[in-house]
Amino acid sequence: MSLMLTCPVCGRRNGYEFRYGGEDKGPRPEEDGLTPRAWCDYVHMNRCAAGPVKEWWFHRDGCGSWFTTWRDTTTNLEIQPPEDSE
Amino acid sequence: MSRLEHLPTLRIDPSLTLPLHYRGKTRYGVSGDTVATALFADGVRIFGRSLKYHRPRGLYSLDGECANTTMAVDGVPNVRTETTPLVSGMRVAVQNVMGFPEFDVMGFMDRLSPFMPAGFYYRILHKPAMIWPLALKSIRKAAGLGKISPDFRTIGTFEERYLHADVCVVGGGAAGMSAALAAAESGLRVILLEARPWLGGCWDYRSGADSDALPLYERSRELAREVADEPRIRVFCRTPMIGAYNDNLVTAVQSGGEDEGFTERYIEIRAQSVVVATGCIERPLLFENNDRPGVMQVGCAHRLARTYGILPGKTAVFSVGHDMGLEAAVDLSELGVEVLCVADAREDGQHPGLVRALTERGIPLLRGWVAARAFGKRHVKKAAVTTVEGTVRREFACDLLVASAGLSPVTGPLTVAGARLAYDVHTGYFLPEALPCGVHAAGRLLGWNDPGAAEASGRLAGVRAAADCGKTVDSDAAEAALAAHPGPESGCKLVTAPVAGKKAFVCFDEDATVKNVRQAIDMGFDVPELIKRFAAVGLGPGQGGIPGHNLPLLAARYRADTAPPRPTTVRSPLVPALIAAYAGAQRDMCKRTPLHRLQERDGGVFRRTGVWKRARYFSDDTECREEILAVRNGVGMLDASTLGKFRIHGPDALNALQRVYVSDMRKVGSDRVKYSAMCNDDGCVIDDGVAVKIGENDYYFTTSTGRAGATVEWIRYHTRFDEWDFHLVNLTDALGVINLAGPDARTVLESITDADVSNEAFPFAGYRTFRVDGWIPVRAMRLGFVGELSFELHAPSSFMPALWDRVAEAGKPHGIRNFGMEAQNVLRMEKGHVILGQESEQRTNLLDLGLGFLWDRSKTDAATVGAVALEQAEDDPDRLTLVGIEMDDPDRPAKDGSVIVDDRIRGYVCTLRRSVTLNRAVGMALVEAPLSAPGTHLEIFEDDCNGQRLKAKVVPMPFYDPEGKRMKG
Ligand SMILES: [Zn+2]
Repeated sequence: MSLMLTCPVCGRRNGYEFRYGGEDKGPRPEEDGLTPRAWCDYVHMNRCAAGPVKEWWFHRDGCGSWFTTWRDTTTNLEIQPPEDSE
Repeated sequence: MSRLEHLPTLRIDPSLTLPLHYRGKTRYGVSGDTVATALFADGVRIFGRSLKYHRPRGLYSLDGECANTTMAVDGVPNVRTETTPLVSGMRVAVQNVMGFPEFDVMGFMDRLSPFMPAGFYYRILHKPAMIWPLALKSIRKAAGLGKISPDFRTIGTFEERYLHADVCVVGGGAAGMSAALAAAESGLRVILLEARPWLGGCWDYRSGADSDALPLYERSRELAREVADEPRIRVFCRTPMIGAYNDNLVTAVQSGGEDEGFTERYIEIRAQSVVVATGCIERPLLFENNDRPGVMQVGCAHRLARTYGILPGKTAVFSVGHDMGLEAAVDLSELGVEVLCVADAREDGQHPGLVRALTERGIPLLRGWVAARAFGKRHVKKAAVTTVEGTVRREFACDLLVASAGLSPVTGPLTVAGARLAYDVHTGYFLPEALPCGVHAAGRLLGWNDPGAAEASGRLAGVRAAADCGKTVDSDAAEAALAAHPGPESGCKLVTAPVAGKKAFVCFDEDATVKNVRQAIDMGFDVPELIKRFAAVGLGPGQGGIPGHNLPLLAARYRADTAPPRPTTVRSPLVPALIAAYAGAQRDMCKRTPLHRLQERDGGVFRRTGVWKRARYFSDDTECREEILAVRNGVGMLDASTLGKFRIHGPDALNALQRVYVSDMRKVGSDRVKYSAMCNDDGCVIDDGVAVKIGENDYYFTTSTGRAGATVEWIRYHTRFDEWDFHLVNLTDALGVINLAGPDARTVLESITDADVSNEAFPFAGYRTFRVDGWIPVRAMRLGFVGELSFELHAPSSFMPALWDRVAEAGKPHGIRNFGMEAQNVLRMEKGHVILGQESEQRTNLLDLGLGFLWDRSKTDAATVGAVALEQAEDDPDRLTLVGIEMDDPDRPAKDGSVIVDDRIRGYVCTLRRSVTLNRAVGMALVEAPLSAPGTHLEIFEDDCNGQRLKAKVVPMPFYDPEGKRMKG
């Protein structure tokens, strides 16, 4: 957790202040016709990519916001969003 | 031994003696000594015996780069005595010695060394497997350093500091101080870390090569004063850096002085920019018996005299590869050591001033010569020197052999910060190819040995660090200032003396020789990282301090590599640190309720529950008979202040509640509380509590004690895509709760409030607000967790002690008693009410607990968290079910957590007690569905049932007052 993260409210802060909230997988899928497998995949399966990953973080010891940011999992450093990300 | 008392460089106070105990005698050091210098001054030359061969070992580096002088101090093993400050009354003992350090009965091991080639243990003790236990035992006994007993407890005070700085400078020598000053001058906050007890680095004891210039020790003291006068620089001495992590997080461990109130302190510094100016250690000279006591490095011999006032020997031979060696020879001869000759492995490149000074003193300088062998069984008596080709040889009787092949930059801090090192042909150093972002290097580490260059390179690094911090700086000027000084000198390239290397130790700590390295390479372990592990080079307590630079050079030379040598990896901690320092102060940080002291007064026995301290019992009866009977038959009061308490308000408050609670929260009214539960995405229950509407778009709700800390996060997480407008306020600490329970609860409450609390006016599940005694504001809920008539009284924390006393006083005529967590646990269990985390675990869903009636499946628009999974789990036959069970033997209750078995595990006991009220042993268990029918016989296994399974059967719940007449009456 030695990385620094940028909270949209509080700015760049020590990583200790945040709680990890997992990879960003977008909003929950529509419930109609959802198979147990598809739901389980949404909840539990991760891409675990080596490289830039968009993630959720919670500013636990700060303002209490959930926000997304990009992190390079190979360096454990917060990075600018890649060009091709929206 | 008398000290040199009047040197301007001394860091001791010879007038202040300190006693220490060693080998049954009291000896004396002086204030400022390290343990090792005090012993050395007292005549000790052998500080211990080596790991494998039990060779005598002495003072070699003075900076703790090898385990030669690790000893047991005050019962703590493996203390690096050469860097540990002497404290009055210390008890010091040698390690790995059988007999005496001078006459070790295991000394014969040294003669066996030809039979113990590289990788001996790996290869020889491989098979047959039956020799393992024996070999293990005898090797363990003969080898190894300190001993630790299993019940050893570290004594001392340990603490942590988490600091922020603009610039963190590692190393407080001339370059580090210059960097710190340059950064501070631009207005930045600087932290300066220095491993030794004082600033100054290698200038602290040196005069320098240039006899006309200001002595270096005076210049370094000048710089130290400037640093002390600069309020923006915070200095930590005795604080070696131990690690570096992302975004310039630097970790260090500070050793406390006697008066500082801590033993070791873990420090973490978050800096915007880091300057590493850790200087150089020496590259050990490889020759036969290079580990013999009496052989020491240049800095060690020089500092013994200049810093500690101790002459390192009477008659000395020097074999060096850098100008600091010549400088030390001149200076020590000046101080009274007879220097017989100085062998310099370099043919040329010596500072002319130093050559002149040697000539003036009649000390022969042998260019292109090197020490080949030290003689003397326990201490140096004679030294042989040869030409580097080994063609001519001379011997000198001496008691000191000062030996050093060259300098070796301390690059560990750069490596752990992520720099890659590459061999630099000019200096012979492994230097950073490129530095990570926000990291700079300066000083002798980069080869800037010239004093002016060392300072200028420090200032340049300080200026660059200031630029990292967004300051506008003139780095061109700083670069030009550095360019005006002489550049790095060419380093000595000698790898080993021209010897066979059977007793030329590459690594002292693991007794690995030049010959062992060759054997390892011959066996195919041909790169330094493999040799390191196979021949155990640099795996000891000193890590790479001794072999780090030599091993790659040696391997490259032996293999006739055409590619440049590559260094081995360095990892944190760079310097050994006590695990206790990492553990830190370990303070028991807990929360106390507003009623803590009052319950203490009433004899409460407290236990840690999550972040809280809660009263578990109010007597030494762990069955809590009196407490339970009071609640069942009269009235009792419980501090329930740890409950999570929240307010949620705003236009989307109800939407948020609908999302996280399984029930339809539109039905939450303003005079009735609603009990509901929260699930996670797997449908597993994570929380339960009640909610009530306290205004328009305004709700008050409770959570279980353990969930209070995560509730805001949870609700915000599950609404993160919705952009809803609501506010959440955590009132857990702002409000306290008293649970007043028992048949007489109403009578007690009636006597302290004017509000109508009759069953008609305030029915079960009702919510009312009123004042107690006309002034204490109370939110009251009629609940029945313990199965009796009960009122939960919520009031602001500041009112709680007054409310508590008032309730206690009013209850006196009815024999009111405090009850604690355990009594509540039994009372609610008898009623079949669950505690999440006790009747549930991670996999337990809402349906398993029989709480499916809480789930409103019609509110699909709310996208209730857990609903999808609950629907999918509904027809799953393989789930566990919560059932009531009763032991066949009422006097033999099974323990919580014991397992229900037949030929395999079929379930778990959640809570089970001998019920005082019912005279039965009953409880709740999670069992597989086929075992859940009432009347089913169960067998229970627990760790102390002696193989005799306990018998129980499934029974209906609740056990107590199944119709709920008492709680609702
Ligand atoms: Zn924030």
